[in-house]
Amino acid sequence: MGKPKVASDWLAGCAGCHMSLLDIDERIAQVLDLVELRSTPITDMKHPDKSGVDVGILEGGINNSANEEVAKMMRSRCKLLVAFGDCAVFGGVPAMRNFFTIEESLRRAYIETESTDGSGKIPSDPELAVPTKVRALQDVVPVDFFLPGCPPEADTIFYVLAELGQGRIPELKGNTLHWQ
Amino acid sequence: MVNITINGKTLEVAEGTTVLRAAQAAGIDIPTLCDHPHLTPYGGCRLCLVEVEGARTLQPSCTLPVSNNMVIKTDTKKVLDARKFVLTLLFSERNHFCPYCQVTGGDCELQNAAYHEGMTHWPLSPNYQPYPMDASHPYIIMENNRCILCRRCVRACGELVGNYTLGFEERGANSILVADTGIPLGESSCISCGTCVQVCPTGALIDRWSAYRGKETQVESTKTICVGCSLACGINVLTRNNSLVRIEGDWDAKLNEGVICEIGRFTPMAEKCDRIATPMIKKNGTLKAATWDEALAVIASQIKSSPKDVAALVSSRQPVETISRFAQLFNNKLGADMVTSTEEGQYTRSLAAYAKDQKKSFECNLEDLKSADSVMILEEDLSKDHQVAGFFIKRVLASNVKLLVVDSQENGLGKFANKYLKLSKGSRSEALLALSAAIAKLGIAKGKTKATASELKSLAEKTGLTSDDYLDAAYVIASSEHPVILYKDGADIESIHAIAELINAKMISVKGNANSLASSLLGVEKALNLQGKKVLFVANGDEELSQKSIKEFEKIPFKAVQSAYASSLTSIADVVLPSTDWLEQEGHYISAEGVVNLAKRSLIPAEDLLSPFETLGRLADKLGVKLDDEWTKLVHNRVSPVELSK
Repeated sequence: MGKPKVASDWLAGCAGCHMSLLDIDERIAQVLDLVELRSTPITDMKHPDKSGVDVGILEGGINNSANEEVAKMMRSRCKLLVAFGDCAVFGGVPAMRNFFTIEESLRRAYIETESTDGSGKIPSDPELAVPTKVRALQDVVPVDFFLPGCPPEADTIFYVLAELGQGRIPELKGNTLHWQ
Repeated sequence: MVNITINGKTLEVAEGTTVLRAAQAAGIDIPTLCDHPHLTPYGGCRLCLVEVEGARTLQPSCTLPVSNNMVIKTDTKKVLDARKFVLTLLFSERNHFCPYCQVTGGDCELQNAAYHEGMTHWPLSPNYQPYPMDASHPYIIMENNRCILCRRCVRACGELVGNYTLGFEERGANSILVADTGIPLGESSCISCGTCVQVCPTGALIDRWSAYRGKETQVESTKTICVGCSLACGINVLTRNNSLVRIEGDWDAKLNEGVICEIGRFTPMAEKCDRIATPMIKKNGTLKAATWDEALAVIASQIKSSPKDVAALVSSRQPVETISRFAQLFNNKLGADMVTSTEEGQYTRSLAAYAKDQKKSFECNLEDLKSADSVMILEEDLSKDHQVAGFFIKRVLASNVKLLVVDSQENGLGKFANKYLKLSKGSRSEALLALSAAIAKLGIAKGKTKATASELKSLAEKTGLTSDDYLDAAYVIASSEHPVILYKDGADIESIHAIAELINAKMISVKGNANSLASSLLGVEKALNLQGKKVLFVANGDEELSQKSIKEFEKIPFKAVQSAYASSLTSIADVVLPSTDWLEQEGHYISAEGVVNLAKRSLIPAEDLLSPFETLGRLADKLGVKLDDEWTKLVHNRVSPVELSK
């Protein structure tokens, strides 16, 4: 049996969780000894293999129709799905906008922002993804493992990847369990 | 005693104990949120659910009293699942996103509880309903979105402080924490004691000054006393990198049991004063930086030229060590006759004289005030000064403790009183006589009264009130078993004592500054008379003096002032010495009830700062005077109005 295949992607997040992944530094070589890294936002391959991967990792919440598609594709192509970081686990910082209507958020972002020149305009091209309420990943697709943290610490990420790479389900508690 | 079994462990506990307290005493951990050891059980959060044999459902252990042979289990799957479910519901209710909350990362009891249960996510997503947020208060932010409806703040506001400002509006999920009738907290009856902030388990009530300045794991904590007034409340001073983060009431302190007032908690944070960093000498009308040596040399030469013409004042906010050394240097060694404290003994002089006459202590301590069943407050506004003593009274008024307020000025506790005698100005002596006449008229006097029943009407009229007012007042204090009379100072002390004896009351004065009593015991309590004085030395430290006394100082030719902060006092001085403030120095304080406390240092002072204590030592060296510091014996030289204790 070959090494487990791992794919990742990011949705409505800040990419910070993937940066924290890179913070495992040289230990990434150890991870690569254990797993075969397939599509990720920081590798050339952009979509998980049609033939499927073993572990899918998603950073960020779901805040529009495009995120929803990516999440559903990942879910359909992976055996075990990891919600990676607070946005994927809870909704996180982007979910602050859920306390307002989408219209209010768009107006604030494109018209009322102090740096907006002129009158501003809310983009309405039909090609664009449709914004939705920000949801945690589990509200859109079933999630198998939750790795909270804003971002999760590099040591915790390494522990989780190493465990998954060796076919075990990691357990977060004590020092590895943080929500912020 | 009853026998119970928790998780197979058999325990003997007192009847009436709750299951939660019994478990805690046996070292069995039950997570809680709404429970607080200083508040009455409420049973609001349901996190402490346990399995009780024979009970149909899980029971909240915080409100369940033990009964004989009760069998309790706290670690079954049913209990653990229920805990997770309770937390799941709490997290789904409001905005409990951790990354943007002040208390996250150790200080949040809600987050800690979730970690304790190993929760990696929220099984139910939040419903994103916004709740009101109130930032109208100068110190406190009330954030309903973070609230878990545990009502600790509401209970603390009522049960510990007796202020009843906080309450809840609406029902169920719509419940919101409000001040008074739903007005902004900043415009409410809140007295800014901050107890609600201290008990809040989440980020629903935070103090804006300390927010985001360090979690509890990142700060150092010094257990000490507040020197804001003479009560000596226990506090924890939280510091980080040698700067003040927050002050909290010390739950373990016998006197205040965790509660402190605005002056203790927030005023030290809010104060914006210019620190004096270096000694200064006035040259051609302006203060110029100098060395300690130069500055002390100037002061020493002025003092040496005629020690008799020196007037010396020490702040009664300074430790006993300082006041004692001060008295020894100026009074005993230099022979100056105008040696006094900044409050000139105005609250203690008559008390000391009366104690000397009586040859014994006559005042009670604050524990007696806490257990009193009626209280008479005579011309002391506990809503402004010595506020925590006011909390002791306000919080028991609901349990049928009676309050009489007698004051010729507006008194903040008047509105809480069963009877409030508003005297016309300057009629206090007559009022005390009228009160004893009223006690005589009620026929409940235990002994001979100073005024007879027949004099009541005319005495009452002299104070602008009626006989009925005094009869009501007398009834309030005389119809109880443990009355206490509280007053500020020793004025009319004989009449107060006479009334106390008539109704078997204990009596206590709250005096003034943190070391009012110590100043008095060391004889540093003269009325200030600057006639013919040529040199003034004020060891002021961090006290703020009245403009009136500063104006009086102006006429003295040479003025030396030691002060932590720049003020109108330092601007008129010829020599200014910098000083440590109360957090940067250590020393003893004798509280209004005679308890000797050590105030510890919680901040390290800047390099060029000396405490008034050290400064007096250096000044003595310059003057060639040898000092010994024997304050522990010296404070026993005079009869104290209240017995001293450790």
